[in-house]
Amino acid sequence: MNLLLGLRRHRSGPMLGAGLLVLSLLLSACGSAPAPASPSAAPAPTPAPAGPTSFRIAIGVDLDSTDPAGQTTTTVSNLLDYAVETLVKLDKDGNLKPGLADTWQVAGDGLSITFKLHSGVKFQDGTAMDANAVKFSFDRLLNPDVKSPQRSTFNSIKSVDAVDPATVRLNLKEPAPYLLAGLTATTSAVISPASVTAGGNTMTNYTTPVGTGPYSFKEYVKGSKVTLEKFKDYWGAKPYYDSVVFSIVPEAGTRETLLQAGQVDMIILPNTPDIPALQKNPAVKVLLASSNRTIFVALNTRDAALQDPRVRQALNYAVNKEDIIKNVLFGAAEPMQGPMAPSLFGYCQTNAYPYDPDKAKSLLQQAGATNLSLKFMSPTGRYVQDFQAAQAIAGYLDKVGVKAQVSTSDWPSYVGAITAPPDKNATQMHVLGWAPSFLDAQQAMVQFQTDNNPPKGLATSFYSNAQVDSTLAQAAKEVNPDKRKQLYCDAEKQVWSDAPWIFLWVQSFPIVYSAKVTGVSFLPNEKFDAIYAKPQ
Amino acid sequence: MRRYIAQRMAAALVTLIGVSLLIFMLVRLLPGDPARVIAGLLADEREVERIRVQMGLNRPLPQQYALFFTHFIRGDLGTSARTGQPVLKELLARMPYSLELAAVSTLLAVVVGVAAGVLAATRRNTPLDYLISLGTLIGISMPVYWLGLLLIILFAVKLHWLPAAGADQPASLILPALTLAAFSVALITRMTRASLFDVLGQDYIRTARAKGVAQRVVVYRHGLRNAMVPIVTVIGLQLGGLVGGAVLTETVFGWPGLGQLLVNSIFSRDFPMVQGLVLTAAGMIILINLGVDLFYAYVDPRIHFS
Repeated sequence: MNLLLGLRRHRSGPMLGAGLLVLSLLLSACGSAPAPASPSAAPAPTPAPAGPTSFRIAIGVDLDSTDPAGQTTTTVSNLLDYAVETLVKLDKDGNLKPGLADTWQVAGDGLSITFKLHSGVKFQDGTAMDANAVKFSFDRLLNPDVKSPQRSTFNSIKSVDAVDPATVRLNLKEPAPYLLAGLTATTSAVISPASVTAGGNTMTNYTTPVGTGPYSFKEYVKGSKVTLEKFKDYWGAKPYYDSVVFSIVPEAGTRETLLQAGQVDMIILPNTPDIPALQKNPAVKVLLASSNRTIFVALNTRDAALQDPRVRQALNYAVNKEDIIKNVLFGAAEPMQGPMAPSLFGYCQTNAYPYDPDKAKSLLQQAGATNLSLKFMSPTGRYVQDFQAAQAIAGYLDKVGVKAQVSTSDWPSYVGAITAPPDKNATQMHVLGWAPSFLDAQQAMVQFQTDNNPPKGLATSFYSNAQVDSTLAQAAKEVNPDKRKQLYCDAEKQVWSDAPWIFLWVQSFPIVYSAKVTGVSFLPNEKFDAIYAKPQ
Repeated sequence: MRRYIAQRMAAALVTLIGVSLLIFMLVRLLPGDPARVIAGLLADEREVERIRVQMGLNRPLPQQYALFFTHFIRGDLGTSARTGQPVLKELLARMPYSLELAAVSTLLAVVVGVAAGVLAATRRNTPLDYLISLGTLIGISMPVYWLGLLLIILFAVKLHWLPAAGADQPASLILPALTLAAFSVALITRMTRASLFDVLGQDYIRTARAKGVAQRVVVYRHGLRNAMVPIVTVIGLQLGGLVGGAVLTETVFGWPGLGQLLVNSIFSRDFPMVQGLVLTAAGMIILINLGVDLFYAYVDPRIHFS
């Protein structure tokens, strides 16, 4: 009482009062600090859990959409894969394996695919997963009112028939041999029809996904975290953890500190230069997962300086990719040996472009291209060490007499510049990455189709070869897998020889996780696979 | 006073209309195709065009603005092109975090800054004064990003006292608030020191001392109160800047505030969200400035409104 009266008498009372308030706020917050973890301690044997267990993952991007059909980002798709499932899945080698469908049969003419569904599968809302649910999901995916930027993969579907509760048939407008691979994409996940009108969802605004996955969507705090909890009636193997919490932490350094402080169990995409130190840290394990993302320098083949294929080949010989991977990317990539990642169906290894500056100079001389000066654009922070690698590439080009002026800009401006129509496109060389949403050459080779040149598409090298166009058109409809592979191989060899790109590398997907957990793996489409993670 | 407030509110509305037109034009001057950025690289042109139509980008600019403005005056800030959710809903989800961080860091900065400024002003040219000046120099010079990471390494990684990031516990507020307060503390300390020292040199202060008034009364009742006007101005400016979002701090600590949302929206060319955020920030700054002006009258009765 006297203290309070004393505070009121003095003019400093309000100040002291405010100070006490702040101090009490901070102290009360301190009381809720997390239990200390010991990052440098050796992993101890796993005791039986005393209460609910949680696996904590830190990711770098906030969700743009929780609708599987609306996915544009691999990380968000990865998160949704905990809750929703597709008819067909990928194994760790990139091969197709059963998902919600046990088996499938492609018709001889390639105009339909019939799936036999796994029986006894329930959605997280208790309703049964059957052919009608699958039909509903695909009809919704193809509904133009539903926002689905990656719908084009499924545009070959004419209609969907629920033949019987356990059988569904996709009828196609034309043969689409890539479609089975496309059905592994989260975009085509099967959702509960009842959920579309429940829990605040509507057909076009689907914010709480309800699927058949091992975890159900519990809570999304925008910009902060997503919490999923174990689905007790999951039809497959039950995961260990009762819940999974995805924390949204944009800064890579902060994600690393969260892991080192023991406040998360796994992170993705740490700072690349930190990878060597993390690899030496006994408290964590580093997984440089292979991915399907190729990184390349697209060369504007319409530009006078780059029209001659010998010039473009020279640029390929001039760059020491292995050296850049080792010293700039810290080992987080593999050199490209073909115009796409090896995990894709239809991949064919071509002749390499080994580092050979003398050959580069010779080719440039043959082409009469001396004292070349080129504008070289690169994004910053879009791909692993992109801008740094661009500077290293410019250094190698300089050694063979090619001056490359490196510049950068924000991503939207960058995309705008590289996709400008031919008459307005001032780019000469630019770094780009390409990660198909499914592991099939069809979506990789679109980069070399004339029809996809800007402004219609993203084939930003403006490459045009009628023979390649014809081969790719054939391959897109060829139902025989061996013939299809051969067609893609022919196209890839031609593209490799024409060199519309400086073929750089296939970027790795770094995953770092606590040494106290096991069961963390990856899929070759730039996704982590930690559903069956558990304590050591 | 009421008339003054009413006039300020009317002026605020005109200001907001001007801001709406300015931000509408500015975002559309940014290079790049928003529909392509939102759709992603793998989307085909048909889907990109759909998004373009959904965003209304196929309409003439005056029609786009008219649509935006008619919704705005009804309190509808539109729909986020990126998430498809109402802009207002997205804003309201994030605003409490920004307000909380701004309020706590400002409160901390005011308490520490004014106290340090008073100490420095009343002990000018002593080692304590020099130490405080050095502290303010460091506080003003230290990059937020660097300080934030240092605090994380010390308190989260080494000591395990506090969460490194996120906003799901009360303790999560401490490090971002401290980081954000560092610059404000330095600024407020300097302003308090300079302003108070100026006031303490006035004749009436000398008179008060000559009359035997206690030093504490001289400093706080006579000195600090009369020095408050420029200090409150600085506080108001700082608070106004913070409620709009503290991007670097939010990024380092994964704090889900408005600043990060604004930057993400700009980089994804989410026009409705950028417009909504800028208008909201403008509105909050207007309100804060009004509050500061009214506070002037409280600390200095000589100030009248007309």
